[in-house]
Amino acid sequence: MTHGPMDRRTFLKRSARVGAGAAAVGLAAGLGAGPLLRRLERPWDVAPFPPPGTPPVAVVRAASYEVDLESVILDGLLAVGADLRGRSVLLKPNLVEYDPGTVVNTDPRVVAATVLAVRRLGARTVVVGEGPGHRRDTAYVLRSSRLLEALDAVDAPFVDLNTAAAVRVPLQSHFTDLRELCLPEPVTSADVVVSMPKMKTHHWAGATLSLKNCFGCVPGRVYGWPKNVLHWAGLEDAIVDVAAAVRSGLQVVDGIVGMEGNGPIDGTPIASGLLVFGTDPVATDVTAAALMGLDPGRIGYLHDASRFLGQGDRERIRQVGEDPERSAVSFAVLPQFEGLRVGPGR
Amino acid sequence: MSAELHARLSSRLEASRTGDGFGPRAGLPPEPEPTALAAIALDDEDARAWLLDHQRADGGFALVVGTVVNDSATGLAALALPPGDAREQALDHLASHRAPSMPYQPLVPYDPDTRGWGWTPDTFGWVEPTARALAALRALRPTETALIADGLAVLADRECADGGWNYGTRAVFGDDMPAFGQTTAAALIGVQHADPALATRGATALRRLWREERGGLTLAMAVAALRLLVDPDAGEAETALGEALDGGDLDDDPVALGWATIATGPGLDALRGSA
Repeated sequence: MTHGPMDRRTFLKRSARVGAGAAAVGLAAGLGAGPLLRRLERPWDVAPFPPPGTPPVAVVRAASYEVDLESVILDGLLAVGADLRGRSVLLKPNLVEYDPGTVVNTDPRVVAATVLAVRRLGARTVVVGEGPGHRRDTAYVLRSSRLLEALDAVDAPFVDLNTAAAVRVPLQSHFTDLRELCLPEPVTSADVVVSMPKMKTHHWAGATLSLKNCFGCVPGRVYGWPKNVLHWAGLEDAIVDVAAAVRSGLQVVDGIVGMEGNGPIDGTPIASGLLVFGTDPVATDVTAAALMGLDPGRIGYLHDASRFLGQGDRERIRQVGEDPERSAVSFAVLPQFEGLRVGPGR
Repeated sequence: MSAELHARLSSRLEASRTGDGFGPRAGLPPEPEPTALAAIALDDEDARAWLLDHQRADGGFALVVGTVVNDSATGLAALALPPGDAREQALDHLASHRAPSMPYQPLVPYDPDTRGWGWTPDTFGWVEPTARALAALRALRPTETALIADGLAVLADRECADGGWNYGTRAVFGDDMPAFGQTTAAALIGVQHADPALATRGATALRRLWREERGGLTLAMAVAALRLLVDPDAGEAETALGEALDGGDLDDDPVALGWATIATGPGLDALRGSA
């Protein structure tokens, strides 16, 4: 067995390809070689990605999951100008797996309340969909996580994106060499895909928010359990390409209780009491990362996405609701991500 | 083994057919994995014909999207095919498409001397595709002792601290990861009696896990694994599988129905390893 030494760059590159995948770039030292090289390139088609303008992002307080979440979420959606009248809506929560005692997933109460709020905004149809990334037995995950119970209570259907009918979609960004993606028809046919991540640290990418949550849209029957081929394509590059294909038009980030430390699976709950709403996934994630005490500009995929997919300049994001600066809750990170943090630790 | 349950499962699986093959959902275009499972489960010539029509030039069976080639169904397809060139080519594909060796790194520990099989070639070896390849080689080409030993070594290496397997990561950043029922069953279908100590620990874990994780796919694969191991829990797990069927957990899921039909019928003999 060879356990020889390797330099940091080699270590990071190889780490990116194993286990649940890895970020490799943008860690403690900020941006790595990949993004720096790509500054000389423009790996996306121009026409599909118009300039982002000044999108709104709302930070809303919710002390617990016991509050009137439907009203809180409705207020948040109204604050960012969500226009869902007559539209078909797919809610895409994070339901990667189930482990009792952890906060891996978007809380089912947030999902159910969002169903109700979206209906109140006049949506024509509302479907909840996810392709769990670690578990093939979706029926088990749905039931054990209590998402099924929550959806039954609001009479909302669930579709397993791992097995749904799917189409091939040519990529319009080219950070990876994937060229095209298999995307479920419930994703491609929805007028609005609502990305609903849990606010979590991520032990390879720094943070997992609405862009990374789009990984759950691609089917495991093509990409595996876990969807490791996306990590091999370059995790941060794949996050950008998949998110650019999914084009979430609305985001609801569940940070009422988030996850810090060794996220996205084995971290520690952190009660930040916040929900984040937006219509631009880059602006939403930039704001959410800042709320976690992370510098969005040092998260490699956020840096890349902000070049074409949405607004990454915090000066050009219209913040409504709570003041993000005052609301920030510094999430603990693994030692190798200390370089992502802003300001003093807790 | 309940003939009545097997008949119901067979009927439900048959009803999910799309043309000659089976898709990931009833009515969807056929794909290699559900078609291979159905061919084994129903001893179905039409499904075998679909497989033969869709074997790739490299002997594999794959879903291809862009540059992604998921050939993880090849082991199942080999088990479904009759003796002959097509089956041998599928086995050749397994022999030539193992996951690459990876250097050791401590954050996600694994034995770098093992390889196994991935969901896609040239990536990392994972539990379920490794178990499929292992089952096929042990049943159909037991002379591939080095490949079989590698597959067993991968599964032994990835065993979780509390017994059993998840998708293939036993620890991350120093934290032990839990085992899952479905992947534990998948691994045991690959191991069977080839490594008695590993199988015994895995079966112990599975007896706990199937009771906690009563999803249709988990129960279907658990019954298959327990029956292959001649485990006394098989009957109770089969009863739970019947309840899951009645509760709708296997509705419109040809993969889960395929495993359940195999687990409760004579198709299971196709998976019995001789090595």
